[in-house]
Amino acid sequence: MHIPDGFLDGSVAAAMAVPAVAAVGYGVHRAGRTLDDSKIPLLGVTAAFIFAAQMLNFPVAGGTSGHLMGGALAAVLLGPWLACIVMAVVVAGQAFVFADGGITALGANIFNMGVVGALGVGLTMLLARRILPANRTVFLSVAGAGAWASVMLGALLASAQLGASGTVPFATVLPAMLGVHVLIGIGEAVITVAALSAVLATRPDLIDGAGFGPISTTPLTPAAEVAS
Amino acid sequence: MSGAHDHAGGGPAGDLSSRVHRLDPRAKIVGLVAVTLVGVSTPIAAWEVWLACGLVLAAVAAAGRVPARVIWVRARVVLPLVILVAAFIPFFRGGEVVASLGPLDVSREGLEVLGSVAAKATIGTVSAVLLGAITSVPAIIRGLETMRVPRLLTLIAAFMYRYLFVIAEELRRMRSALASRAYRPRTALQAAALGRMASALFLRTFSRGERIYLAMLARGYSGRMPRLDPLRLARADAVFVGLILLTLLPLRVIS
Repeated sequence: MHIPDGFLDGSVAAAMAVPAVAAVGYGVHRAGRTLDDSKIPLLGVTAAFIFAAQMLNFPVAGGTSGHLMGGALAAVLLGPWLACIVMAVVVAGQAFVFADGGITALGANIFNMGVVGALGVGLTMLLARRILPANRTVFLSVAGAGAWASVMLGALLASAQLGASGTVPFATVLPAMLGVHVLIGIGEAVITVAALSAVLATRPDLIDGAGFGPISTTPLTPAAEVAS
Repeated sequence: MSGAHDHAGGGPAGDLSSRVHRLDPRAKIVGLVAVTLVGVSTPIAAWEVWLACGLVLAAVAAAGRVPARVIWVRARVVLPLVILVAAFIPFFRGGEVVASLGPLDVSREGLEVLGSVAAKATIGTVSAVLLGAITSVPAIIRGLETMRVPRLLTLIAAFMYRYLFVIAEELRRMRSALASRAYRPRTALQAAALGRMASALFLRTFSRGERIYLAMLARGYSGRMPRLDPLRLARADAVFVGLILLTLLPLRVIS
């Protein structure tokens, strides 16, 4: 789903850059007020983790394979806004370092693969905590459904952008993209749920807090670390 | 559309002491992104502009002695996408039919769109590959930092790059451990083991992040990364950007 240079029309690329820049910009602004400096290395290694986890391939029907996108996982672990930032750095890093995804399509790629999943799943999680009972099953179901939906939504958006650019006929590419991504989304959901249930079993403290995960809430101090 | 991210590894390549390698990272970012912008912003069938972009890229590669093989290996990530997505095009466009493959008609207009998408994708990808080949990643990040990209983003990017290979290597070891226990998933539903592996990796990564910060504090970190050599734009940097713009902009304007 990394859209390369030249696949998007200039106006589509620019139109997608606006929400991407707005979301990441707001995330950075918000982090400037609430984020403890000690958490920056954590965000960095989380970005590296997502980058590396995207190398995890799993089989999809017909000999093709999909890989983890990680937006939903990041959203649950970090909260929506920090997840936006981390996903933006991951996608930009792939474009600049590995030429994977075009630099002119960066806005669209960050929006499809990062912002939509991070904000969608993160905000759904916040909402679910308000209106649904807070237990493991609800938590994991919301995360799993969110992971699946984030992949489908990303595929839908990518098809719509390519269609609007006149690169491919929307009506032809949409069923193909969604058909493949139904299965990729299941893989994403299975991995996300398995990962979160393992984190819940071993370090539940990482997921607690007001829906923003550990990274923006509990400040890490050397003394606390020595004591623990 | 989700190919494997079997990245061939980034990092500088070619003659590391060449003139283009020694340029200020900001000049290289501006110059090569300008090539991409000019190439991608053209209307359909602007062959003279794309040819000029190709020549500029070839000149940069030659000046940095970046081997063609390196460029090919790193740029081919884009190939499956061009084939998968763009191969649709000739069959579904209306217009003058130039050939038929069974029930499908190939239109001239469709072939032109295919050609332009392929050319633009090539220019963009090769520009990014060359930027990576003549500039180290820390230098790119530093260039972006001085170009007013928010410090939070460049810091996260710097940590990401520093630990990416450490974590990828850890992941590789975990995968071979899984494989040695005969894990060979055949459907997406069997991906749960990968999820548990991902969570083990995340927990290790998380505690690594905590340790890194403590180590930084122990070495006197006080909120800013120390910089020993300030970036300075020299005449060569202006010449590099100027030559690229002078070659491409007039062509772009008249095309």
